[in-house]
Amino acid sequence: MIKISALSKNYGSKQVLKNINLNFSEGNVYGIVGENGAGKTTLFRCIAGLEDYQGDITSTEKPLKNHLGLLLTDPFIFSKITGKEYIQLLCNAREVKIDDVESRNIFDLPLNQYASTYSTGMKKKLAITAILSQHNKYYILDEPFNGVDIQSNIIITEIIHKLKQIGKIVIISSHIFSTLDATCDEIHLLQHGEFIKSVKKDEFHILENEMKEIVIGNKLNNFEIQ
Amino acid sequence: MREYFILQFNMSNRRLKDAGLEPMLGYVLILAGFIGFTFFLFQKTEFAHYAYMLISLGLTTKLSEIKRNDFLKSCFKNNRYKFLRITENLAAAFPFVLFLLYKQYFFDSAILALLSLILALTSFKTTVNISIPTPFYKKPFEFTVGFRNSLFVLMIPYILTIISISVQNFNLGIFALLLLFLIIIGFYPKPENEYFVWSFSMSPKKFLFEKLKTAIFYATILCFPIVIIMGFFYFTNFHLIMLFYFVGTVFLVTIIFAKYGSFPNEINIPEGLILVTCISFPPLLLVFAPYFYTKAITKLERFLV
Repeated sequence: MIKISALSKNYGSKQVLKNINLNFSEGNVYGIVGENGAGKTTLFRCIAGLEDYQGDITSTEKPLKNHLGLLLTDPFIFSKITGKEYIQLLCNAREVKIDDVESRNIFDLPLNQYASTYSTGMKKKLAITAILSQHNKYYILDEPFNGVDIQSNIIITEIIHKLKQIGKIVIISSHIFSTLDATCDEIHLLQHGEFIKSVKKDEFHILENEMKEIVIGNKLNNFEIQ
Repeated sequence: MREYFILQFNMSNRRLKDAGLEPMLGYVLILAGFIGFTFFLFQKTEFAHYAYMLISLGLTTKLSEIKRNDFLKSCFKNNRYKFLRITENLAAAFPFVLFLLYKQYFFDSAILALLSLILALTSFKTTVNISIPTPFYKKPFEFTVGFRNSLFVLMIPYILTIISISVQNFNLGIFALLLLFLIIIGFYPKPENEYFVWSFSMSPKKFLFEKLKTAIFYATILCFPIVIIMGFFYFTNFHLIMLFYFVGTVFLVTIIFAKYGSFPNEINIPEGLILVTCISFPPLLLVFAPYFYTKAITKLERFLV
């Protein structure tokens, strides 16, 4: 379990996260939605321990960061390192022995090629392969479906289902509602650093409609689309 | 064009401010460091002018980085782009050319200026998609990336070692060994993205220990041929070869400590100057290595448990 209590985060005088309280339990997939700048990535960085914060974040497996697979929105890749070496690097970091990297190549990536030459989607797929190879207990996937082709989207969705089945905790952010609908058990709506709504699977359609209301409102009435 | 150079100047000022220095003071310190290093180098070895040219070309090569140049090409018309790049490269080479002229290495200074000019007009972009094999693939990333980036430069110390044997110049062999360490040390100072430190599930102490283990082991692999060849031909001076190998290793260790002592930022100018001072007086490493180690542990505690 991951338990977040009274989490707040400020950048100077700007408060980006305000009194966040959340529980994530094993075998569940959680979606975090919100517009750009709502605080999703900051929340993920706080959970990962990459940011200082006020409040508490506790987990069953301690320390949390050593059991967390973190997929960044834009994974950083070194200039002269192959895909295979990238996976090796992240496995070495967790002291996970990996003998046959090729067998883990679920996305059919050109692993002997420099990863910096990969497209945005390929970099994301490489980063996903690497964190899966680390055998983590918890996963935070920041926009895993962005920039990824449709075939890989299907694979990522299946991976998330599999992680849920084997009792992992998965937290996802996405701007594509259908992907969250297909994977999540619970969705939390973040707005201006606060969770304003949390819904279970059977209420996702209500949330989607409400979000449309909030986001679009009557903005398009004044904009004549021809 | 003018705006571009003003922007570069402003960016330099910001970097100095970020490093905790007033820009004017920073420029004075950089100038003093440059002059000090230059005199030290020319005092220590008769082959300093070659090393000096290599250092200068190394700096100008950085300006030829593909992404940077693609961006500049997209911003400026072709003629302006070429003029800008030539100006940049000549400005970067200018202090080196000036000192070579002062030392009456007229031919070398002309060659350096010419090569800097050619480098400004050369694109290293390649369509060949080959990953250079490396013996260091098991423990990415510093040696893996460094080896690939410096493959041709890495050949120089070995060539110099062979020359040192053929002309029976022991000092040249030692210079080759130190040059190899200088190249290896160049693999390290730039901090990696914090994600690659955060990913490690180990304590700061163990993290540093693993980094040192890899660095010393791989550096030894690269130094081994030089040490063995030198040891064979200059057996009576073997203790001196081992002494320089030891000093190089301690300096490598200190650089790793200094890097993580500033992490996730780059090594700042005052600490850079401390490291330069350590080159000129290596016993200082025994004082500053523990200082940087303590700092590194503190900085890494933010990312590692």
